[in-house]
Amino acid sequence: MTEPAAANGFLDVERLLESSPARPRFNMGWGLGVILLAALIMTALAGGAPAEARQAVAVLSGLVMLAAIGGMCAFSVYTVRRLRAEQQRVEQIGELVQLRRWPEAAMALDAYLSRPAGTPQLRVQALAYLAPVLARLERYEDAITVQTYLIEQAGLDPAGATAMRIGRTMAMLHEDHLFDADRAISELRRSPAAGSAALALVELYRDVKTGHPTEAIELFEQKLTTFRDQLGHRAADAYALAARAYDLLGREAEARAAFWNATLLAPAIELFRRYPEVKKLSDRFHPAPAPPEAA
Amino acid sequence: MLRVDAAISRVRRDITLSVLLKVVLTCAAIACLIGGGSENVRVVALLGIGSLWFWLSLNSARSSRTSAESPLLIAAGQFEEAERNIERAVRTFSLFRAAKLQALHHLALLRHAQRRWQEAAAVARALLGQRLGPLQPISKSTLLLLADSLLEMNDLRGTYEATCALYRERLSLTEVLNLLPIQIDYSARIGAWPSMLDHVMDKVQLAELMPPALSARTQAFLALAAKNVGRPDMADWLRARAELLTDAQRLAAERPALKELWES
Repeated sequence: MTEPAAANGFLDVERLLESSPARPRFNMGWGLGVILLAALIMTALAGGAPAEARQAVAVLSGLVMLAAIGGMCAFSVYTVRRLRAEQQRVEQIGELVQLRRWPEAAMALDAYLSRPAGTPQLRVQALAYLAPVLARLERYEDAITVQTYLIEQAGLDPAGATAMRIGRTMAMLHEDHLFDADRAISELRRSPAAGSAALALVELYRDVKTGHPTEAIELFEQKLTTFRDQLGHRAADAYALAARAYDLLGREAEARAAFWNATLLAPAIELFRRYPEVKKLSDRFHPAPAPPEAA
Repeated sequence: MLRVDAAISRVRRDITLSVLLKVVLTCAAIACLIGGGSENVRVVALLGIGSLWFWLSLNSARSSRTSAESPLLIAAGQFEEAERNIERAVRTFSLFRAAKLQALHHLALLRHAQRRWQEAAAVARALLGQRLGPLQPISKSTLLLLADSLLEMNDLRGTYEATCALYRERLSLTEVLNLLPIQIDYSARIGAWPSMLDHVMDKVQLAELMPPALSARTQAFLALAAKNVGRPDMADWLRARAELLTDAQRLAAERPALKELWES
């Protein structure tokens, strides 16, 4: 897809972070309390008035109370419906991201985050979807900004924060922030992510990127079952990086086999986009043949 | 272990009781408001009714909160803890109809996770037979669970009916991802090979989003369909992908029909 430019304001991270915070909501309980109090005061003040006036005030305050309660009910129903619709909208964005429909997801996120979100939770959810979209558009610095914001300020749960840290480390590697990435990997090794396929993939990319193919192959062979069981089709990434590592060591047959497996699970063009280092293999190795429908 | 037939009848009984109790309490409150007699007695009676309602609601809410943890326990594989939680929710009287139905839904989820297909299907059917009201959204996940359980029991007619009911609903991506393997497995059992390959790349794309083992099984069934309609290129590609995602022997042990893919 054509990369939308941040320069024209599309998916401008600073703007979206500023425009999306949820506005404080009007507390209906206080409003109702004030109205009921006013009605009570009105009734009390009318205590010394003639009987007809007292009756009129009693009817009026009754009507005011009824209107206040009715209004609160209507407002609550409206608010719940609006929030439900907004939640559905964020869920649809999530589905677009999952289905890798990046242009639609990017446009939907830009529209959603350009206005105050209904609740802080929905905003965090949308920002969590924004990070992979930015990474997909190869705007890794922007992705890092969003991920750092979410890790430091959004109060994510431990699992969410760990996933975000892994994503940020991958973006750092793409942007050649090797020192920061290395430090982040060390921290992740001491976190619940230790031993996970996602962290192993980050380490594999670091080893390939920094020219340590022996370590990369050792890690790949040790973690192959974990990659398969935890990453599913994203194990293609591990095969692609392993192919590059084998190639760097001149182990051509193994490089060819790994490249074949990688391109069985994911299109070669997608792998080259994710890892430009793997593109060097495209001249020498053929991707696995796919039926015409998959082209 | 909680017997499902006992749980179902207990939930039905409690729902009827809660309706009766609400009617009695409402009638009593109206009688206090418009009836004759000493005003003090009426106020005290009204306060008593309100307090009883409040106490019952509080107990019911507490029970609902405990019950809400059950899906997390099931997902974490802590079946015994989940069973205890659900049993408590089923046995505790609740004023809220939704809380009782939710407990039944959790029981269906638990039995499905325990691979006790017959019991899961019985609870799911009992739940779908109730008026769900605000719990209507769980009808889709209950139907999915029912369809899967019936398929595991090889009840093809029941599976067909449950999946047809789902086609009439607007499904989320997660629900589609749960339905597709059932649909494909069912189609393979009835030998509907050409229809399995309709929009095959859409199905493959969805399969890529599934957990690895399920993704492998789905793609293996599609490979079988491709083989049966004379598309060896597609069959080889899908089979090779499935092999990379899981152990082929395990796949064939789970679904013997797939053995054909690895026979020369």
